[in-house]
Formats: sequence, C-alpha cells, structure tokens
Amino acid sequence: MLSRSAVQRLVPGGLVAAGGGTLLVTLLVLIAVSAAGGDSGRMPDIARILYVSSIQAGLSTIFSLIFGVAIAWAFNRLSFPGRNLSVGFLSAALVTPGLVVAFGLISVWGRAGWVNTLLAPFGLAVPPVFGLFGIVYAHIILDATFAAALLLPRLDGLAATRLRLGRSLNLTPWLRFRTLDWPALRPALPGLAAIIFLLSFTSFPIVLTLGGGPANQTLEVAIYAAVRLDFDLGAAVRLALVQLAISAVLIIPATALSLVPPAGGGTRALPWPEPRGVARLAGLILIAAGLFLGLPLVAVIVGGTGFGEVLGQQSFWNATATSLIVGIGAALAALVAGLAVASARSAARNPIAGFALSAPAYVYLAMPSVTLSLGFFLGAHRLGLNTGTIGFWVLIIAGALLALPYAVSTLTPALTGIEGRYGRLATSLRLSPLQRWRLIAWPLIGREIGLVLAMGFCFSLGDLGVISLFGSENLSTLSSAMNRALGAYRTDDAAAISALMLILSIAVFVALPRIFERLSRAGT
Amino acid sequence: MLELDGLRFAHPGQDRQYAFSLSVAPGEILGISGASGAGKSTLLDLIAGFVTPLSGSLTLDGQSLVGLAPEQRPVAILFQADNLFDHLSIDRNLSLARPHGRLPQDERDSSLEAVGLAGLGRRRASTLSGGQKQRAALARCLLLDRPVLLLDEPFSALDVDTADAMRELVRKLVSARNWHTLLVSHQESDLAMSDRRLHLEAERLQTG
Amino acid sequence: MIRNLVLAALLLTLSGPAALAADKPELTIYTYDSFAADWGPGPQLKAAFEAKCGCTVNFVATDSSIGALRRVQLEGKSTSADIIVGLDTSVTGQARATGLFAESGVDTSGLNLPIAWDDKEFVPFDWGYFAFIYNTTKLPEPPTSFEALNAAKDLKILIEDPRADTPGLGLVLWIKAAYGDKAAGVWKAMWPHVVTMAPDWSAAYSLFLKGEADMVLSYTTSPAYHIVADNDLNYAAAPFEEGHYMQVEVAGVLKSSPNKELAQQFLTWLVTPEAQTIIPDTNWMYPVVDLPETPAGFEDLIVPDTPLLLPDDEVTAKADEWINEALDAQH
Repeated sequence: MLSRSAVQRLVPGGLVAAGGGTLLVTLLVLIAVSAAGGDSGRMPDIARILYVSSIQAGLSTIFSLIFGVAIAWAFNRLSFPGRNLSVGFLSAALVTPGLVVAFGLISVWGRAGWVNTLLAPFGLAVPPVFGLFGIVYAHIILDATFAAALLLPRLDGLAATRLRLGRSLNLTPWLRFRTLDWPALRPALPGLAAIIFLLSFTSFPIVLTLGGGPANQTLEVAIYAAVRLDFDLGAAVRLALVQLAISAVLIIPATALSLVPPAGGGTRALPWPEPRGVARLAGLILIAAGLFLGLPLVAVIVGGTGFGEVLGQQSFWNATATSLIVGIGAALAALVAGLAVASARSAARNPIAGFALSAPAYVYLAMPSVTLSLGFFLGAHRLGLNTGTIGFWVLIIAGALLALPYAVSTLTPALTGIEGRYGRLATSLRLSPLQRWRLIAWPLIGREIGLVLAMGFCFSLGDLGVISLFGSENLSTLSSAMNRALGAYRTDDAAAISALMLILSIAVFVALPRIFERLSRAGT
Repeated sequence: MLELDGLRFAHPGQDRQYAFSLSVAPGEILGISGASGAGKSTLLDLIAGFVTPLSGSLTLDGQSLVGLAPEQRPVAILFQADNLFDHLSIDRNLSLARPHGRLPQDERDSSLEAVGLAGLGRRRASTLSGGQKQRAALARCLLLDRPVLLLDEPFSALDVDTADAMRELVRKLVSARNWHTLLVSHQESDLAMSDRRLHLEAERLQTG
Repeated sequence: MIRNLVLAALLLTLSGPAALAADKPELTIYTYDSFAADWGPGPQLKAAFEAKCGCTVNFVATDSSIGALRRVQLEGKSTSADIIVGLDTSVTGQARATGLFAESGVDTSGLNLPIAWDDKEFVPFDWGYFAFIYNTTKLPEPPTSFEALNAAKDLKILIEDPRADTPGLGLVLWIKAAYGDKAAGVWKAMWPHVVTMAPDWSAAYSLFLKGEADMVLSYTTSPAYHIVADNDLNYAAAPFEEGHYMQVEVAGVLKSSPNKELAQQFLTWLVTPEAQTIIPDTNWMYPVVDLPETPAGFEDLIVPDTPLLLPDDEVTAKADEWINEALDAQH
C-alpha cells in the first residue's frame, strides 16, 4: 500500500500537473472562443512547413548531438585553468535569445564580419551564413553547447572503480570511449535528441532572421503571422494544435531525459590522461568549438562594450530591475512547481503515473509563446483584470512554465536517486515530508536547485514572446528594451543590452549551482 | 507472536506467486535462507508494508498489520547498506528515531555505548567504516525499540571478525528487548545464529 | 527599489490604474514602443500636451503598430485605450473595418501631404517614403529603379517579412503600385538579390549596419538619423524612377473612449506646428504641416517626384493575395 509520505508527495505534484494541463487547455479554448466568427479560413501550406522544418530540425539535432558528444569528451579529457568558466559558458548558450545568437553569428561570419575582414587582404571570403546553413549553424551554437553541458557531468561522474578497471585493462582511447563513456552517454541521447528537435522545430527568431526568405519557415512563424498579420485567431489555434500534436510524439522520449546524471558526480573521480596525440585531438576539438560556437557569443559581449550611454539611462535601470524581479520570481516558481512534480514522480511507482505527472510540464516545450501570451491576455481581459498591470505576474508565470520542463528533468533524477537509496529507511523511520526535505533532499540536491533557478531566471530574461502583448510604458524588461532600441536605429544600445544580458546569464549559470551546493551542505 | 498465514503476493505483470506462512516468537530469531531471487526481500517488504499482499493474514499478537501503511507498522529494519544518511552526523541519524520529538543526549550516548561506538556521535556518517555504520544503525534500532526487527543481510558487507562481533551484539539485544526477529541471508555463518531456520524454494517456505 | 517595484505592481494589480488618477482626466494612448521610448516623440508630446490640457497622458507601448491595433481588437469595446497613434496606411483599411474607431472631428484639409487626404476617422501626423538606403562610400552608383536593381550584378539587399512588418508590406505594395500585373516578375528577378527577409525593420536595419548587404528597405528619411545622431553623412536613399510608395502614419479615436472630447483635442493639437516640431527629429519622419524651419538633417533628403499610394480598401482586400504572389515568386 502507498505510504502516507508517498501520498503527501503525490498530491502536490498531481495538482501542479493537473493545473499545468488545465491552464494549457484553457488558454487554447480562450483563443478559440475569441476567434469565433472572425475566421478567414486561410491556412498556410502546412505540409510544406512541416517538410522544411523537419529537415532543418533533423540536421540541427544530428549535428548538435555529434558536436555535443565531441565537446563533452574533450572537456572530460582535459584540465586547464578556466575550465569551469567555459562549462558555465556552455550552459548559458541554451537560454541566449535567438536574435542575439543570430547577430553574434553575423558579427563573426557575416559579409563584413571578423573572419571576412581577416581574409579580405588575401582575396578570400567565406560563403554567406543565410539560408538552411545559417539556421542549422545557429541552432548548433545553442544546442550542441547545451548537449555538451548536459553530457559532460555524465563523463566526469564515472565511478572510480570503473575507471580503475579500465585503466588496469589498458584500454585504448577508442575502447575507453566505447566501453566506459558511451554507456554513460547513451541513455541521455534519445531524450536529448527529442528536446533539441523540438527546440529547432519551433524555432522562431533564428529562422526568420537567418532564413533568407519565406522558403524557410516553422509552424511558430506561421502562428505568429496568423495572429499579427491576419488576425485569424482560429488559424492560430489550429496551427498551435498541429504543433502540439506533432510534439506530443517527441515528448514521450523527452520525459525520460535526466538533465543531470542520476549518480550525482561532479568531480572527476580519477585522473587518467590520454596519450599525447589524443589529448591534442581533444584540445583541437575545444579550440574549434571555441571558434565556431563560442566566438559568436564572445562577439556579442565585445560588441556591447560601448555600454556607457545605456548605463546612464533611467529606463535601462528600470528594465534591469523589472527583469531581475521577474526572473527571480519565475525561477522560484519554476523551482517550486518542478520540486512538486519531481518529488511526485519519485514517489510514483508505475511508469504510466510518472508520465502522466510530467507530461503536462513537458507540453510547454512545444507551446508557442505567442499563443501563451495571447491566451493569458484574453484570460486577463475576460476576468476584468487590467492587462497593463497584470503583465508583471504573467511574465513570472509564463517564464516559470517555459522553464518547467527543464526543472522537472533536472530534479526528477536527483530525487528519484535519493528515494531509491533512502526512501524505505525514511519511511520506516516515519519522517515527515518536511523532515524528508530538510534532512535528506535539501542537503543533497543543492546543485540541482541552483541549476533550476539559473534556468528559470535566464528563460524569463530572454523572453520576447510573452512581453510582446503585455509590455507597457511601466513594464519593460531588458529584452523588450533591447527590441525597442533596435526599432529606433539605436543599434549600439541594443548591442550593449544584449551583451549585458549574456554576461548576466553566464554569471548566473556559473554562480548559482555552486552557491546552492555550498548553502545546502552547510546545514549538515 | 508475529504470524504470517497464507500471505500471497505477485509482482505486477509476473506470473510467479509467492505464499508465505510462518510465526516468530518474542526474542526469537528466525533465519530465512534461499537463493538470490527466491523472494527473501519480497518477504521482508511484505512485513514492512512496502508492498501489498493479494490475500492472507499478517498479525502481531493477534492484531492485523495488513491495513497499515509502512510508517504505521511496528517494524525496524536493518538493510545490507545505506542504513544511515551519509551526509548527516551520527547524532542526527540517531535523532531520527524520534522524528517528532527531542532525543535526550544521554539516551543517545547510552545507545552508542551499547553498540560500542561511545564518543563517535559527532562524526559524519560517511567517515565511518562499514562495521561502525551497521552498529550505529543498530543503536538506532535500540532507540526505536519496535517489536519487530527485520535483518536484510546486515552482515554480508562486513569482514569476518567484524561480522562475528556484530552477530553477537544483535543476539544479545534481541534477547534483552524481546524483538520478533527475521534474518534473511544466504550465508551459513549468519544463519547459524538463528533459533530456527526456514528455506525459501519455489516461492514457498520449507522447513530446514 | 526592488521592493517598491513589487509593491507598486501589487497595488496596481489590485486597484487598477484608476486609483492613481485622482480626479484628473486621463488619456490612454496605445502606440508602438519606439514612439513611446525615452528618445521617441512620446515623452515630449506628453509633457507639452499635459501642460495645456490639465490631464494625464499615458502611453502604452506595444511591440509594433500592428500590435497596438491587435491589442485593441482583442480588448474590443472594453479597451482602456482612448487613442491609437502610429497605424499606417497599409492597415487603416483593416482598422476601419473593425468598426471600433470614431470620427476624428479634425479638419485635415489644410495639411501638407504629397497627396490629398480625405479620411473621417484617421488623422495623419507624419509620413515618409519607402526607399532603399545605402552607404555612399561602399556603393558609389546605386541602382535607380527596380529594373536596374534586378539587373545589377552581385548587388545584395535586405527586406522585411511582409507577413509581420509594415515596411515589408510596404515593399509589396510599392512594387504592386508601380508594376501592377507585372509585379510577380519583378519579385522573381529580385529574390536572388535578397540576403534575407528579416522578421522586422529593426532586424533588417541592424543587419545592414553590420554590413550584410548593400542596401536595405527603409525610409527616405533614414539618412537624417545618421546625420543628426551620428553626424554621419555617408547614408543616402536611392531615388527610384518608378516613384516611391508612401507611408502615412495616422492616429484615431476609439468609439469606446469615455474621454472622446479630450481625445479629439489631442488629435487636433497633434497636427499643430507646436506638436509637429517634435516629430521629425524623434520619429525620423516628415511633419504634416509646414514648419518655420526645416528640421535638422532633413535638408538634403531626396524628394521623390512620384508619390505612390494604393487606396486602402483595395489594400485590405488584396494584401494577402499580393503577399503570396511576392513570396511564391521565390520558388
């Protein structure tokens, strides 16, 4: 029979899951109801959009996984000063706003970018980065680094006993990868592939900016066009449903993904240097990754060095304050909801219940942010709430929802691992839920908590979709301030703001997991 | 008296059905042997309440335990490993015997003394040796003082001398506190300490 | 500061803005974000009008002018907007069709526009021409027509997505107005020159400033910004023989507004020289009245001989079809 503590953990998680699912349906229904009557009946060529975006997303996924594995492997084999900072850089890439990545990419590889400026004296030039190539490249910057950041701890956390065994057998570098590393990486790959495919499949600003023309489209773009240009809310809902339906297939493997490996390693167990040639290869991979994936982000930071003028603007500081508060609120909300779902999943014994608990959270991976924003707007309006002022809260809730899938996949394996090891003991000792949390969970998942907070913060920091309907004179975030500056010839201001946002993201990703790991350990 | 009468269980989706009938007197140690996978752990899970039986009865002194959630059962367990929270001190691990109240320092100290760990209360559990950890866990069983003690291969991770000392200690405490004790193991050296022995085969308990 | 912000947000959520207004009448104006920005015309217009009306002016910024219209459509009759400022001629037909706008009551006959203006609902407050902007140091001989552009070798241009952005739609209308039935052919020949179709004007213009293309679709007035703000004289608009399509930005009063009289006062004031002086060097568009002095940076701008503008009912009816025609020409 279910223990009392299992029930106590299942109920909040179940409520969050039910709430998340109900909210999603409500938002779609609100839009559909408002659409009644104003239906143009016009639908874009869905088959073509699906074809184009599947190819783009497929290529993005394959290359992101290959490069992600290579980068994680190289980081695992090498020790050098600044390694931790570089790893923090990796994790931050995922949450960088797409437009910022696109501009960074162009600063480096564009017609008048760094590389072509270097090559010009020799009469050489790199081909343009627009079209399918540019889209896939930008996605790889985001997703290969994300994959690497996620796979690296699996390699760093390999048990010392296995390494010792491997070393005593004198495994060659290739056999070492195949027999030790690969089994640790492989379980994460299907879920990772599903998430990367979803992210690329629903990509919006990158596809529009680097796409080269209308031939490259995603459903997300079509939804945006349906809302903005045609004001055809019926079509928007239908397209959103198509996107959700297709994504549902991918969500099944995605729910199985653990963002952090179950055995919470974090330090490398046993130094086992590779032969010189292989170490050089690892070094080469990292240099290439820095050049192709890191440099565009560095270009964003370098491009923003003229931030003197921005720092003097009151509106910039207001936007910063709003972004910080909204970010912290969204991070905390994502953490609380994520903990509820994850601890329910750790208590749920059968896999179907586990899936039912987390699926509503994962659906938000595929929810177009235009639809989310529109639904909230209509809901607030129907409730008679002032849409200008409720925006603050919507930003927090939406930011938390968009980060929720990542929160669940970070916390679930950690809590499930703890449950497996200590669950029966805690139950037989009759510990209350509070005691379970204070004595067992909190001291052991500090790092994961920091990671979830960082993700929640950065997702809301980079949001441009939700703020589009709720922004006002009184409510402006850093990303909307960046957009506003771009819309008025003030490209230097925009560059400065995006540089500051990127620096903030990296700082948060490097600092929070460490801070929370310390905090949680200090209590025991 | 702890009694199991025709207690049946099957893992979801599996055909094999276990059926257990046995009784243990106060202060008695009943040894259960059997090959790996024969169902030894399942038997303990049923008594502890981690799994629910299909039918049959489970009583302590005539009171049925079947409807009780795990945390309501009068059962203390000693696992093969992970009996302590590694990241907490021994004192805090012992305090967990009274999750809803305070455990006086002298009670804690005397229980540690009883298992031969006097003075180690402030140490973090992860710094103890395997034998010390099991002793500390036994100290907590003393503090819990529940009528049923389940021993799930608690000595198999220890070296020979440590295991001997530990077995002696358990024997002494069981007699002193009159615990109804089930010992599950596949090692002859462990089973030798029990008062009576049953063997698990083909999902049934056999005498011998 | 952080705590105050949270408190303010809480208070606002609970009480609504009415509580803050005290007894002064309040005028809520929806507009696009760069109009309301610190450096845009919004703050100056607000200060100047508040000084005479004894009211409070609130600008509510959405991400674009279409965004402002959509927001009013979503809110319907219960919208808190009294006025929308910043719609342009490519969407006025749609806006009129919503039936949400009242007659402005403003006499627009004396305004100085290249075309005759006769519209009961919408009051023009600035205008400009779409044009391709180039850097004179990098492109000494810019094309002088669409045909020249399409024939030029290796010339790269940036345009905006007509499904999401008004200049993008402006280009579709421009080519349609100039070429009629031959528009598809012009598009077909132009696509190879397009580096990318950016999501909006800001992305396209940023890419242009980064050097990704020789020309970008913008406004004839864009060089004025570079002259005034950066003292950079190297940007110019390429005059096209076919003429240039006009963009007229308009403002309208909502029928649902409880402050209709005040709103009409604002629109009447918006086309006086006092308000119009503010527009050119903040919104970088031409004023709709003759000003005593030519605004800074506007002296040397090109003045197209042939202003093009399609009737807004035709635009409303056919825009979809024309957009598809332009996009399909890529294949």
